Amino acid sequence: MSDQITYPDVVQWAIPFFIAAILAEFAWIAIKGRGGRYETRDAVTSLIMGAGNVASGILLGFVAWAFFMWLWALTPLDLGTSVWVVALCFVLDDLRYYWVHRFGHRIRWVWASHVNHHSSQHYNLTTALRQTWTYTFTFMMVVRAPLILLGFHPAMVLFCGGLNLIYQFWIHTEAIGRMPRWFEAVMNTPSHHRVHHGRNARYLDCNYAGVFIVWDKLFGTFVPEQEDEPVDYGLVHNIGTFNPLRVAFHEWVAIFRDVLRPGLTLRQRLGYAFGPPGYSHDGSRDTSGQIKARHLARHPELRGTAGFGQPDRPSARPAEEQTL
Amino acid sequence: MPLEVMLALVIGGIAGIALLLHLSGRSNQRVLTPEIAREEWRRHFPDDMIVDVTLAHDGHAALMRTETGPGLLWALGADTVARHLMDFDWLDHPKGLEIFFHDFGAPRVLVRLDETERRHWRHLMEPA
Repeated sequence: MSDQITYPDVVQWAIPFFIAAILAEFAWIAIKGRGGRYETRDAVTSLIMGAGNVASGILLGFVAWAFFMWLWALTPLDLGTSVWVVALCFVLDDLRYYWVHRFGHRIRWVWASHVNHHSSQHYNLTTALRQTWTYTFTFMMVVRAPLILLGFHPAMVLFCGGLNLIYQFWIHTEAIGRMPRWFEAVMNTPSHHRVHHGRNARYLDCNYAGVFIVWDKLFGTFVPEQEDEPVDYGLVHNIGTFNPLRVAFHEWVAIFRDVLRPGLTLRQRLGYAFGPPGYSHDGSRDTSGQIKARHLARHPELRGTAGFGQPDRPSARPAEEQTL
Repeated sequence: MPLEVMLALVIGGIAGIALLLHLSGRSNQRVLTPEIAREEWRRHFPDDMIVDVTLAHDGHAALMRTETGPGLLWALGADTVARHLMDFDWLDHPKGLEIFFHDFGAPRVLVRLDETERRHWRHLMEPA
């Protein structure tokens, strides 16, 4: 069994490309006067979050690595390192990403890590780098266990995860409208991912894909960008700070405050930690399903359109398909 | 990538981008008008019925009175943030009022007010 396989840390090697692309996007916006917005402190916060993400990977990456190598020692399977195995690993790891991402929006414990990525009210290439510092504490590395037990080497799995992250960088832009139809049908694109970053009721909890948008279409979470409803970026309750420490930890602090409230039952405490974001024991907050339902109460004409297929969850299909 | 090269890239990249954005005028705070304040409040709280809007003289904050109680809307860079005035404290500040939300993600707002405005805002923020 091959234990000594190494792959380049592609995310670190992509840093010069990230910087160059941000400068190019900013120049485009400045020259054309369209295609997005930049704000100094927002962008700096996003970039610091990105640097902190790399640092947390260096400091805490050993936890996931030790777990993966333990699994690798357990499994009798070894698929080797051929190009086709790497390609298959990339596709399956993207499926893994879809589910981790979906958990990240539906389970508050995981949302506490992911929320910072959605905490900017801007959407530009710096937003792509507004990454978590606390992923290790979500324990979502367990979702990669099947890949390693199937015989994909941990180094290959992490390499594919890095490529996945790099792919997702370029889709965080308003400078690109729509890609060719065939590309939009299969791949995650700026248009699909803008929708994912929306706080509009219609756009909540959809388009979880990393690289291949087909996962959302397959699992019923795809919502297309609507020409008549521009995306309003950010959180349902936007944060009021550019302090990276507060951005990184605000939801964790909120969870612990809620869980430690006096007078709650064990079930309610668990609901605050592992229920959907917006759960409350007394109905004082709204989950995404409740936000959609309230929006539909104000705009009943939207019932059945994209993102409002069912009151409690996003539409499975674009509006034009639902009429067929 | 060697750690020292990566550090230089990251620090130089962040500093360079920050300088470029600042020098190109991307550090300006959002300025509110009553119409913009209403529109922004409805963006944050679409269920609220707004009664009236009181703007700070610098246009960077607005005290919103709604049918469910008062709220504060303030500029955060080029955007806005809003909170209902329910779980909060305030202190006089030489430049106006300092408002503290018991919220790790929106801890404190300094609203710049002159003396007349300060008295008016204090009155409006009192619970009905």
